[in-house]
Amino acid sequence: MTHLELENLASDYLEGQLDAVRRAEFEAHSAECAPCRELVADLRNVMELCKSAEDLEPAPWLVPKILLATIGERKPTFGEQLAAYFRPAARVRMAYAVAMAVFSFSIIVNTAGINLRHLTFEDLNPRTWFYQANRTGHLAVARAEKFYYDLRVVYEIESRLRQFQQQPGQGDGQQERETPKPEAPAGGTTDSKQPDNPELAEVRGLMKTNTGSNRALTYPAEGTRSSLR
Amino acid sequence: MEDDPKLVQRCLAGENSAWEDLLKLHTRKIFNLCYRFTGRPSEAEDLTQEIFIKIFQTLRSYDVAQGTFATWLSRVARNHLVDHYRRTKKERLTSSLDDEEDGVIERTPSLGPGPGAQVESRERKELLQMGLDKLSPDLREAVILRDLNDLDYDEIARVLGVPPGTVKSRINRGRLELARVLKRMEGMRGPAKAGGDA
Repeated sequence: MTHLELENLASDYLEGQLDAVRRAEFEAHSAECAPCRELVADLRNVMELCKSAEDLEPAPWLVPKILLATIGERKPTFGEQLAAYFRPAARVRMAYAVAMAVFSFSIIVNTAGINLRHLTFEDLNPRTWFYQANRTGHLAVARAEKFYYDLRVVYEIESRLRQFQQQPGQGDGQQERETPKPEAPAGGTTDSKQPDNPELAEVRGLMKTNTGSNRALTYPAEGTRSSLR
Repeated sequence: MEDDPKLVQRCLAGENSAWEDLLKLHTRKIFNLCYRFTGRPSEAEDLTQEIFIKIFQTLRSYDVAQGTFATWLSRVARNHLVDHYRRTKKERLTSSLDDEEDGVIERTPSLGPGPGAQVESRERKELLQMGLDKLSPDLREAVILRDLNDLDYDEIARVLGVPPGTVKSRINRGRLELARVLKRMEGMRGPAKAGGDA
């Protein structure tokens, strides 16, 4: 095989298209001839370079541009029309407005005491809404008021009990030093009208009063409270 | 997505969505063919558009007996590219290669290998493109269709309208020529790089 023959058959050899005889001749020649061996190696490199070359990505506007140039403005499909119709709903502001509307509606429904699962004709009457809203409002106010008084009463009782527990130790020493403690009446009776400790009597009175209704609770006069402190 | 013959039939029946599908299927291939021929992405985009307009206008002349739609498309594209090459031959001789890189780097996918490998890959691509630009149109199109578009010899023969023997010969000569050009270019780059490194 000559150099020229090898050069002409180089691509066929690299693509495996030579028959066994020609292939053997080719390999025998290239084994002996360094320039031909180099030529085959260069050709192999070129083929590998071409194979490894990645395609370029066309610009994203190319297909729409060609479509516009060929079929003109494309009519949107039914699915695209539907998506376009609902697209505003996907926007944040729209979603926020819808959420607020649903929230407001649920508050109104709850306030009006309407049970949506068991809706009756009576529920649709505005008078019923007004009545229910009024009732719900009053209930809410009453609950809030009760809660507030509960907090206040508990606080008062706790603070006075604490004060009472702390006082005897300190107070006894002082009383012993300042004035002699009056002797307890015989039999050790404790009269509610004349309690041995007026503060304790006041707390008891408070607790008694509070057992009926919180709202009926009477607080000691301002002067008494300050004297307790 | 459907295959080409069905899409072509639907296109001929006036279905715009079928034309859109055909476009999506073949735009990348034709764009790359154009890019390999011209070496400029912006020019390749214009040529791709022109080719598809031509295809749209002459779709009725497509005959299944002539071969697959892809082969017919490649043939139309190749003829258009050769026309374009002849038309712009004078301009090219006087114009500079100022927009050689426009758009290539931006559109190269950023995911994948690291920066070093990306630079190397880019250099190889540029080298290949510059080498292809140095080939004569006959040899260049043969190499592109075979080694970059992966068409077989018969398909290339149909696209180019020449006997398979001629295709084989052109491909071999094209590869040999490309190897020589690349070797020369690498030889020129080597000392320059070495000088730059020193």
